[in-house]
Amino acid sequence: MLINMTTQLSTPFTDSLSLGNLDIVESVSKCLAPKLDGLRGKKIVFSCDDKRMVPVDGWGLRANLYGAATVTTIRPIRENTMVAAIDSSSVKLAETEEGSLYGVKCGIATAYGGRALMHFKIGPVLFYLSESTIQDSELEDRLARLVLLDDDFAKRLIRVRAERAMQKELAGHFSDSIVLVDGSLKASIFEDRDRSMARIAEESVLRRNMVIGISKGTRLKALERAAAPLTKVPGPAYIEVDMIIKSLIRNTVGSNLMVKLGKSSPVLRADVIGDRSGSLGRLLGNDPVAGGYPETLRLAHYISTFSGTEMTCLRSHVLNNYDVTELAADDIRRTLLGSISV
Amino acid sequence: MKILSKNGNELLLLAMKEDSAAKGDYLLIEDRSRSMIVQVYDEEYLSSQALIEDMVKEEVVNASSMENLHDPLNIGSLSRLVRDARIFRAKIRAALTGEGRLTSEVTWLPSRVESKMRRLRMKEIDSFLGRHGIYPIPLGRTGDSEEFEIYAEDLDGKLSIITGKKESGKSHLSKMLVKTLVQHGAFVVVFDLNNEYSGLGYNRDGTPSAISRQVKVLKPGRTLRFSLDYCGKAAVSGMLKNALDMPAASLREFFRIWDWLENKQSLGIEAIGNAVKTWNINELVRDALVSRYHVIQSSRLFTDKDGGFMFESVITKGGSGCAMVINMGELPPTVRKMVVELVLSKLVDLLERGDIPPIFLFAEEAQLYIRETYWEDIITRMRHFGIYTTFVTNQPDAISDSIYRQVDNIFLFNFTNDSDLDKISRVSLADNDTIRSIVRTLPQRHCLAIGRVVCDLPVVVKVAPTEVLTLGETKKFFGSKK
Repeated sequence: MLINMTTQLSTPFTDSLSLGNLDIVESVSKCLAPKLDGLRGKKIVFSCDDKRMVPVDGWGLRANLYGAATVTTIRPIRENTMVAAIDSSSVKLAETEEGSLYGVKCGIATAYGGRALMHFKIGPVLFYLSESTIQDSELEDRLARLVLLDDDFAKRLIRVRAERAMQKELAGHFSDSIVLVDGSLKASIFEDRDRSMARIAEESVLRRNMVIGISKGTRLKALERAAAPLTKVPGPAYIEVDMIIKSLIRNTVGSNLMVKLGKSSPVLRADVIGDRSGSLGRLLGNDPVAGGYPETLRLAHYISTFSGTEMTCLRSHVLNNYDVTELAADDIRRTLLGSISV
Repeated sequence: MKILSKNGNELLLLAMKEDSAAKGDYLLIEDRSRSMIVQVYDEEYLSSQALIEDMVKEEVVNASSMENLHDPLNIGSLSRLVRDARIFRAKIRAALTGEGRLTSEVTWLPSRVESKMRRLRMKEIDSFLGRHGIYPIPLGRTGDSEEFEIYAEDLDGKLSIITGKKESGKSHLSKMLVKTLVQHGAFVVVFDLNNEYSGLGYNRDGTPSAISRQVKVLKPGRTLRFSLDYCGKAAVSGMLKNALDMPAASLREFFRIWDWLENKQSLGIEAIGNAVKTWNINELVRDALVSRYHVIQSSRLFTDKDGGFMFESVITKGGSGCAMVINMGELPPTVRKMVVELVLSKLVDLLERGDIPPIFLFAEEAQLYIRETYWEDIITRMRHFGIYTTFVTNQPDAISDSIYRQVDNIFLFNFTNDSDLDKISRVSLADNDTIRSIVRTLPQRHCLAIGRVVCDLPVVVKVAPTEVLTLGETKKFFGSKK
């Protein structure tokens, strides 16, 4: 009898919940025009786990909507020049009621005369960002609040400050050298006045240093298309893309290029302070380039990343040295969604 | 050290660089008022894929470029500690009762947070076990360099096996046991296959040892000869049947001759020979008797003269102990078997009649001179008469499972061969994991003692250096040219 009652009660209720009555499907399909017809005949690269995938041989000449750009080949210049590559990484380590604890690790890898010279591991160094500590950062109020609210901003702040500090020191210490930076050369809202990208550029020019920023990927689709002719060039070469970048992004420093540093290697965005051909030529002549990426920059990346062991050790260091009490914690996402990874 | 996990009766313990424990060491885990005893049987690195990747990455980076480190928080040293962290695998052996006695019933799990761990000294374990005795046999030292001894009482009436690969120290331990048993007044018969136990009478510097007067080296055919009358019909029958494979028909004729000569009071080896030649028998039987007679005569084990060896003259109740070392190294296999048959039959006869006290028998590589069916006889029947055997062998598979099942003590030396380890771990008194892990890595002259002598708690012992003269070394061609 109970089963019958359930059936009688639930039948009209489930009927009223049918998708047909709610018009949800139509609403969703009309929230934007699908325009799937536009896909027909197009070249396609499927995305994979949010990673950026690029076509191995470029999009083809048809894709170059920005007219014929000049491809300049790069000749390695074998004049002994110091190359110092910089990279860093930051992690959030812990949280308190008032703020968060972050760690940063920096790496400087050097090469000279075509051989790796030495590398410097700096850190891990800890920073505790709270309302009271952020006041010393010279950040404007709104940005400071944003840093306290958003971990990604906080990590970026720490990384930018650490990298600028290293870049400034290297630019002021060396002369006739190359400072190699991971990423584009662009002023950041997080940098402090004394160690801004503009100051670093100025210092570099004064000491005849070259600064090259190489990005592993770019979000600007236009750049990929503009760089299409490079895929057809057999050796190292570059294309100037100042026009595109300056029209899309403010605060960039130096010349903006798309470069290919090896045979059949990926095309990368490079920003250069100094003579373009000279800087890139000296880079190729002094830093071993493997797979189209400078070895020093790769090494700097390796030595600046946090390992699982280091994370464990940092936790242990904090527990042992700062008189903190560890509270039991739970992964809220896992609690809410269950153990099946989503 | 901290407890990481438990699986069955095995605990995984996390140890940092400064925590030391060797394979075989006992640890006491104290959790509030309860205590548990575990034994470390294996040691490995704390390893995870991430840790290995970190190490590989660091090695590759350091190989390509010189490192300069600025590590203000000294996280690198912590990281090195993690890389050197180890996991001890330990078996739960017992729990301690409130009265400080051991029990094998372990029904509780120690706290991972609260538990405290420390190494147990052998003296503490002995006090928990109540392991004591009147006749100690010092064996050597444990991992803590603590003196370790067993008690002769735990060998008395027991079957023991000493096994390990060649030159791992088996004979060394065996000699130590023989020497100490004799010092405690025991009578020991040694079947010495390599003529090495005669060194028991001398120290390494050549001076007489503490038991030099109690060591009697018996050379079959020379100092070990029996009269037929002393051996008796049963012993000779056993020898003819088991060592010389004499058929039953021939055996019957032989004993007709024996009885006839005995009646004439002229029983002797010479007289048997003459009788065989003239006895009215089938020619095939005569041939069988003649061939056996020649083997017996060439063995020179029997004498017609007075003064044949008598065990009673050496083994006397209330005597001061003696080691009778029967040198069998240079004997042909048939004669070895004849000696063993005669000696064991006679000893059983004497024990049956109560003429001699119980004796300890040490048999080196017994599979070479004792027929298969005789093994069980030795460990069952002869044990009741008072022959307490210790087998010394480097072939654990030569001993049958039925013997292992009755064994009371095992002294295990190093084995690296998988099939030997398989055999030993299958039949031994301790668990498979312990045997496989500990025995495989035992250094020379280290043994794992299992069984009654250690109250069933396996102990790793470094056997003390020998005091007596080492004999029986292989003659070497190049060695002799030095």
